[in-house]
Amino acid sequence: MKRSTTIKLVTALLAVTLWQTISFAKGDDFNAVVKMIEDFYNVKHEGIPFLAKAAMKAVGVGAKIKGGDAKRFAEAGSIKLATFENQEFKGDLLKFRQMLNDSLALTWSPLVQTLAAQDQEQTYIFVRENGDKFRVLLVTIEQHEGTVVQATVSPKNLALLMKDPEEGAKAITQEATIVDHE
Amino acid sequence: MKLLFHAISGFICALLVIMTTITTYAQDPRIRLAHLDYLAKKASETVDVNIDERLIQLAAKLFSDKDEDEAQIKKLVNGLKGIYVKSFEFDNENEYSSADVDSIRSQLREPAWSRLVNVTSKREGIVEVYVALNGADVVGLAVLSAEPKELTIVNIVGPVDLQKLAKLEGNLGIPDLGIQPNKPKTKNEQ
Repeated sequence: MKRSTTIKLVTALLAVTLWQTISFAKGDDFNAVVKMIEDFYNVKHEGIPFLAKAAMKAVGVGAKIKGGDAKRFAEAGSIKLATFENQEFKGDLLKFRQMLNDSLALTWSPLVQTLAAQDQEQTYIFVRENGDKFRVLLVTIEQHEGTVVQATVSPKNLALLMKDPEEGAKAITQEATIVDHE
Repeated sequence: MKLLFHAISGFICALLVIMTTITTYAQDPRIRLAHLDYLAKKASETVDVNIDERLIQLAAKLFSDKDEDEAQIKKLVNGLKGIYVKSFEFDNENEYSSADVDSIRSQLREPAWSRLVNVTSKREGIVEVYVALNGADVVGLAVLSAEPKELTIVNIVGPVDLQKLAKLEGNLGIPDLGIQPNKPKTKNEQ
């Protein structure tokens, strides 16, 4: 085999591997964040039963925020949810924040992050493009419970989220967890 | 003669380095805030808003022209390169030091930055507003608000003026700082 052909082959192989790695990282961020929380705080997330998942796809939630008229915030069937209940979230908030930001820095943009050290409360909102729509990743951690939500939102709903991040995040989390409360 | 040539070359090089540094500062009016992160452990609430250029362009694209509120924000954010807010709220007074405030002020020095003196705020405590200039163009704005139980820094990168900031307050995670440019005093008032 000629040397130039070998170089071309190796380059192509490398490009494919890199592309696959990036695609995997992008697709698996939700699971990676859940795993990170589990490892850092020594907690375990609860799975959502199959029927609840099915109900989640069908449920209509009147999640409204300032200026919004959408009946649903997230696109149907796009919600990924992991909940942590009745567990102890004790650890260095700043260290966790650093870890989370570092792990998502390549693929997500951090929009808003709030910390309340005394109450051990943390909220993170990350955003990234997903074709002609957008993905939103929300991480909420309190003293005894936590939630990780990933959802696809329309450009219009992302605009609402950016306008009022706090209320938007609440609406998405409410929409994602409503099945659990019913 | 050779020694003189080396001395002149050295001087020109040093001048070039200084000029480059000044230009770089003028062109990048982003304030470093990460060193204040340690305050998060003492604060009852910490808010970090990071809207980078990509998100701003997205916002400008996403906001509707039909909705009056959104159309106004769209117009305001057009051309901006970043909006960064860091805010700490404390339960008690004196939780942050004057060194923390000075660490921000030291980044807002002339010639890259100028403090606006004709600005007041409805808030208590110190509120200082600075603009970054590149020639005659405003390329950034910074607000330092230091209240007894609250420390807030707003940094907007890009062409922005005070009117814009006032209209952006309460939107895109920018807190309501109650900033208002003072009207020029009339002869009778002076």
